[in-house]
Amino acid sequence: MSRNTLVFAFGVSFALCVGWIVFPRALYVQKRQPLTFLHKTHAEKSGIADCGECHTLRADGSFAGLPAMEKCTGCHSEKIGDSQAEATLVNNYIKPGTETPWLVYSRQPANVWFSHAIHVKLAGLACSECHSTYGESDQVRTYELNRISGYSRDIWGHSMSRLRRAPHEGMKMSDCESCHQRHQVEVGCLGCHE
Amino acid sequence: MKVTRRDLLVWSAGAAAGLVVTPVPWKILDDVSIWSQNWPWIPQPAKGPVEVKQSACTLCPNGCGLRVRMAGGCPVGLSGVNTNPVSRGALCPLGFGAHQLNWHPRRLRNVKHRGNISSWSEASAAFAKAAREGPIVIVDGHPGRSASSVLENFAEKWGGGYRVAMGPETRSLAPYELWSGVPATSLGYDLENTQTIVSFGAPLLDGWGIPGRFPRLWAERAASMNDPQLRIVQADPSLSRTAARAWQWLQVREGSESALAAGLVRALLEQNLVPAHGAIPLATISEAANETGLSADRIRELARTIVAKPPVLAVSPDFNPAVAALNVVLGAVGARGGIVRSSDRTKKYSSVAGAISNVRAVVIDSSVPWDFAAKSDAEVFRFAAWDGGSSKGDWLLPAPGFLEESTDISTPPAYPVETYAVAANLAKPTFEVQTAARFLANLDASAGTPETILHSRCEQLFRSRSGTLYGQTITPMTEIASTQELEKHLWDGAVWVGERCSAKLACELKEWPSASPSSRAGNWTQPWLAPVLPPLASKLYIESNLRGTPGRTV
Repeated sequence: MSRNTLVFAFGVSFALCVGWIVFPRALYVQKRQPLTFLHKTHAEKSGIADCGECHTLRADGSFAGLPAMEKCTGCHSEKIGDSQAEATLVNNYIKPGTETPWLVYSRQPANVWFSHAIHVKLAGLACSECHSTYGESDQVRTYELNRISGYSRDIWGHSMSRLRRAPHEGMKMSDCESCHQRHQVEVGCLGCHE
Repeated sequence: MKVTRRDLLVWSAGAAAGLVVTPVPWKILDDVSIWSQNWPWIPQPAKGPVEVKQSACTLCPNGCGLRVRMAGGCPVGLSGVNTNPVSRGALCPLGFGAHQLNWHPRRLRNVKHRGNISSWSEASAAFAKAAREGPIVIVDGHPGRSASSVLENFAEKWGGGYRVAMGPETRSLAPYELWSGVPATSLGYDLENTQTIVSFGAPLLDGWGIPGRFPRLWAERAASMNDPQLRIVQADPSLSRTAARAWQWLQVREGSESALAAGLVRALLEQNLVPAHGAIPLATISEAANETGLSADRIRELARTIVAKPPVLAVSPDFNPAVAALNVVLGAVGARGGIVRSSDRTKKYSSVAGAISNVRAVVIDSSVPWDFAAKSDAEVFRFAAWDGGSSKGDWLLPAPGFLEESTDISTPPAYPVETYAVAANLAKPTFEVQTAARFLANLDASAGTPETILHSRCEQLFRSRSGTLYGQTITPMTEIASTQELEKHLWDGAVWVGERCSAKLACELKEWPSASPSSRAGNWTQPWLAPVLPPLASKLYIESNLRGTPGRTV
């Protein structure tokens, strides 16, 4: 093997290492949620079985998103247990009456409109089809912030190559399109963009 | 081992080749494109509670029903209202993106005097001085609003004139005003009850009148039918969208619409298809055939065809007395399915079509389309939300943008029944804007304010107890308990629709009208001015051209 070939191969290898190993780590900065919220614990201890009990739809069908603090106050007006998360919740948010600054994994650019009501009520999709088993999780996922775009890694999906992804991974426009194609549902541009 | 320059070049080539098969270039490209959407100077919808309000579009006098999606108190999405009897759920492409217009780069943000930035106080002082020195003329684009009444009152009190810049639909009804004495603004086309429409180039399916009116009628009564309930005969030089979907397309020469109308009247009378009429066109059928490019036999056959399925209505895109005279001969004036009275109002407006002479100042309301230029050497005070070029006025005065002012909307042009709606101000202007009505009311409070006039109109409507209110539910006016309740419904986006006007409409055509120049002939020597369009509208225009099947046009 000639020297040139070896040097060229070294250059290729170097780029591959940088591109596949160093770049993803450099691109995303890991952030912790302000509170350790466990879906599993809430489902087991408070008997909340339906996602819609906390993640409600408004009267006009729009998705209310994360529950407001008053929902938490219903049970956590006083500390339940001795955990650090409980103390943080009560002292930092419930008593001062401020909302928890959750880092939202699914936040999209403002030019996109997604209707949970249409997908859940009209199409009859289960929450787990897009959110996997997150509703049963017993740990808080780390929020990975894209340094360039400012959005969560969940938008692109965890696989950098975007190959062999699970159906719930990724929230790019091509992911919406491929799901709509699978379900043979056609919407125009204005279905999602206003 | 010594590293040479060649090694570095070969290594770089290898690294470049390797980089292509990593996510680096593609991911950076994707992320940068998203990052560029969030630059600080790009307006972003406010984050906040989402609510939906109902209102009416104020871009043109049609006042289509609007469903406004608001986020954090700011309009972020518009769609039509299916229950609105006027627009029937449709909006024009511009209307769908109208909420973006308020951030258009050509938004007029400062008072300008001959290109230089000035102030409202200077503009007000200049107008007060001009109004004291000589007569003024106020030009309105959407007559019938409460704000229009303020403009009219001011003109009357200050010894000036009130003129109206009519749209093409109203101008097409102007010949009947001349022959019947009923104002063109009190007339309408009874399209819902007609069975045959002869269109002399009117772009019925391309954007004529209320966006949702004719396309809906066509979809319900003509689309994909071999023998449609509504026959459209389209005389058009080119295969327009309307011509392509018409029951019959007549390819006529550009500007020969008047000749075709005259030829048709000759053919109708010659074949005794209509009662004999006093006014007969001078041109013969052969002359009409020569001018239009159709054969004489084709014109005779067309005459037989159009009367086969009455009521018949001829429609022109703009002022065309020959087409109006054809309607008189066909007996379509004052008849069901023809030209009908929308109201019993007899007040006529002076058109601004001619030159404005011997005046000191001209005030142009923001409702007047931007391409209107006052034919006058007077000092022009031009209210506008968007700057279309400083040559159009001495003073450019920033007016409220889309949904930035509360206003009322009266009957759309050429609509056969009276309507009334209110558009609330759902967006807040971020700099000082004034309507022409407010500007003038500040100078002379006795001209009234739009709010008080709107309130008194609601009182009149309530007292009349006629018509129906189309809001969340359909409510007859007899079931409305008070003026306050009526006002609340209107502010919440309901539209009042009156009953069919019973006043008579009769036209006397003493002689055949002389030929008018073709309204379709464009002036190609005028410089082209880029239209003010929101980004969404341009996208929709492109999409609308891709709509192939007739069923998807609406």
